[in-house]
Amino acid sequence: MTSRDVLIIVAVSQSVTLAGLLVAIAVNRWIRQRRRARVVPRRVVLDQAMNGWALGEIGPDLVARALEDLPTADAVEALVGWAGRLRGERWRALAEALDQQPWTARLRAAVRARPWWRRLQAARFLSVAATPADAELVARLLGDAQPAVHIAAGAALERIATPHLVRIVIGRMPEMAAPVQAHYASVLRTTHGIVVPLLIERLGQVYDPGLPRIVEFAGRFGDAGLREAVTALAGHANQEVRVQVARALGDFPHAASVAALRTLTTDSAWEVRAQAVRALGRIADQVTLPDLVARLGDSVWWVRLRAALALTRLGAGGRDALLTAEVGAQPDARFVARLILGLTPQALTEFAA
Amino acid sequence: MSEIVRAVDASVIVYFIVLNSFYALLLVLALPEIWGQTRLAEDENLLRLQESGAPPPISILVPAYNEEATIEASVTAILTLDYRHYEVIVVNDGSRDGTMDRLHEAFDLYEVPRIHPEVLASKPIRALFRSRTRPRLVVIDKENGGKADSLNAAINASRWPLVIAVDADTLIEPDAMLRLTRPFLLGLKVAAVGGTVRVANGSVIRDGRVLEPRVAPRFLPGVQVVEYLRSFLYGRLGWNRLGGNLIISGAFGLFRKEFLLEIGGYRTDSIVEDFDVVVRLHRHLRDRRTPYVITFVPDPVAWTEVPESLAVLRRQRERWHRGLILTMWKYRGMLFRPRYGRIGLLGMPFFTFGEMLAPLVEVIGYAVTAVGLWLGVLDVPIAVLFFLVALSYGMILSIWGIVLEEVGFRRYRRWGDLGRLLLFAALENFGYRQVTVWYRLRAFWSAMRDRSGWGRMTRTGFAPAGGGTAS
Repeated sequence: MTSRDVLIIVAVSQSVTLAGLLVAIAVNRWIRQRRRARVVPRRVVLDQAMNGWALGEIGPDLVARALEDLPTADAVEALVGWAGRLRGERWRALAEALDQQPWTARLRAAVRARPWWRRLQAARFLSVAATPADAELVARLLGDAQPAVHIAAGAALERIATPHLVRIVIGRMPEMAAPVQAHYASVLRTTHGIVVPLLIERLGQVYDPGLPRIVEFAGRFGDAGLREAVTALAGHANQEVRVQVARALGDFPHAASVAALRTLTTDSAWEVRAQAVRALGRIADQVTLPDLVARLGDSVWWVRLRAALALTRLGAGGRDALLTAEVGAQPDARFVARLILGLTPQALTEFAA
Repeated sequence: MSEIVRAVDASVIVYFIVLNSFYALLLVLALPEIWGQTRLAEDENLLRLQESGAPPPISILVPAYNEEATIEASVTAILTLDYRHYEVIVVNDGSRDGTMDRLHEAFDLYEVPRIHPEVLASKPIRALFRSRTRPRLVVIDKENGGKADSLNAAINASRWPLVIAVDADTLIEPDAMLRLTRPFLLGLKVAAVGGTVRVANGSVIRDGRVLEPRVAPRFLPGVQVVEYLRSFLYGRLGWNRLGGNLIISGAFGLFRKEFLLEIGGYRTDSIVEDFDVVVRLHRHLRDRRTPYVITFVPDPVAWTEVPESLAVLRRQRERWHRGLILTMWKYRGMLFRPRYGRIGLLGMPFFTFGEMLAPLVEVIGYAVTAVGLWLGVLDVPIAVLFFLVALSYGMILSIWGIVLEEVGFRRYRRWGDLGRLLLFAALENFGYRQVTVWYRLRAFWSAMRDRSGWGRMTRTGFAPAGGGTAS
């Protein structure tokens, strides 16, 4: 075979590929247009059924039938969309009506599918249509290696939280990034009766290397029942734990929290001191005025700044303290006090946020 | 002589076979990547995520130099993004036009004291402003120091752990920020994430929003639509799979601030500061053995204005390629070093021997072929056939970008736009490609003379466009 033959073969295969790509583009467009033409009227029917059901005019079985007529991906998408608008007992009735349908059985089976996107679709479905009988499936999805899958499944906890499921979530908490934690804090908020005892139990494991993330989550969760357990960790040897404790205690305006925070304002780590003065500013207890004034002279800029901002939240007493510092002997305190007193109320609010 | 010509010719052919095979690999790897990314993008309930407060707070950094024509529309569009926690820091980099006046007028600015420590060095700041009408907005007025210097000043003033650099002439889609934070929401250890930049020329734009994407009918911007699709939709997606994304577009890239601070921010002596910063991030994090990903997400979209004249295109492409050459030279120590993993063994070699040297080799190829034909040592039909095969391969790569666009996103709904895309994909290889090769070749000369500077980008502004239908 000569080089000319090789080039001719390459040229021919390229021409075929090019033609194939052009046909693929055109066919793809045509198929999608046909699909849209088919699905849109069914989606309208579903939305009408949903509206009728929301008004109590029809039963959930008609909604289930309208869902069945849609392709699975569209049905799941529609369900997720409507779940945000309709909640409570009525939604549970729909979930039960869907329970016996063949397409939902296929979705449930997809929990064990190999491709992660099929498990994701199952997780999305269960996030809005799980019944108590699905607890095991949800548990499996919560432990999924693909983050998108376990995050989607986490939303199911709003409907079927059990101690077993919550324990799985808390168990994975140390490996979760802050935004994922925030997502779980949001979905678990309605089930604090289950979450709080489990968190308290976990906060008691003081040698747990994942403790900083657990405390961080406890702070995010912000339930008053966690105050005592979090406060007890104020003297923990791990600096990151103390930072998270200081941050979390700002949400617990209680004498014991204030006492712990006052101690933390003199911590050896500046990150802890900065969080402690910030938290004291949020609590705004007059008794902490001397602690905050003392931190105006801290060796670290961020602590001084946070202390000055915190003082602005302590009313006339705090303002007087800043005015005194502005003409005081300490240059660092003078500078930060002058800076903060020079801010407009709007700028101050924005800086302090 | 004829032996030399044959040897050089054979080397050039081997070079292009290897390079194009690598492109083919990227093309194949882009397929599962776009499949997965599309599944994630479609399955995302953005509203729900916003309500949960999960998306992390972001500081959007907008350096502006002589952006009077576009600044109000761009900043207004950024201030109305669908995202809960963010601030916008516009840096007027000593503009000589009325950029600062436009900002004052449009956003009712008032001066505030500087409250942030200046961790990164930057040119002196004249004043810091906030807006009475837009509480999220901060404006820094500083002396001219270039884009990198402005970004450093903005990083100093930023409050949030994630920062995104956005060009003032870039229009961000309302849900783009939320989409861009997906890797963070998925809990990945993200150092930086880039989104897709698309060409705005010819689209219907109103109030800083692209209402209807269109493919510009004029050749120069139109052909760049195809070029951008190819670059973003298969180049970067392919690199995602190879774990070595070396480019996060400076027009639309999200970074973890702590890492930027650790590497000393943007380098003011680099003319491609976005590329430089990503290479340094890779080096720093690999040196420290910090687990990280630098990734590309295709569905968040920002729209930018591309050059409509050859003069502006020349300056832009020359600068890009000069920056590539200087950056590759500066970080040559990472080349083939196993400690830098796939970056050292794949990314850097590809960008050095593929992207950087390609125009040089291409021109050598043309020259040697001409000499060979003149000396009669090359067979004319074979040379013509090879040339056609090379052009056809380029066309396949471009059309592959369009296929990915059609399968994944379908922004251009009209059949007419699709037709234009295909037409420009075909025409790109006749003239445009050779012209840009020439511009890139010139970059070698200017790199050797180490000429810095950005060149001037003439903006027409995002006034209502798209055939005047944007009223």
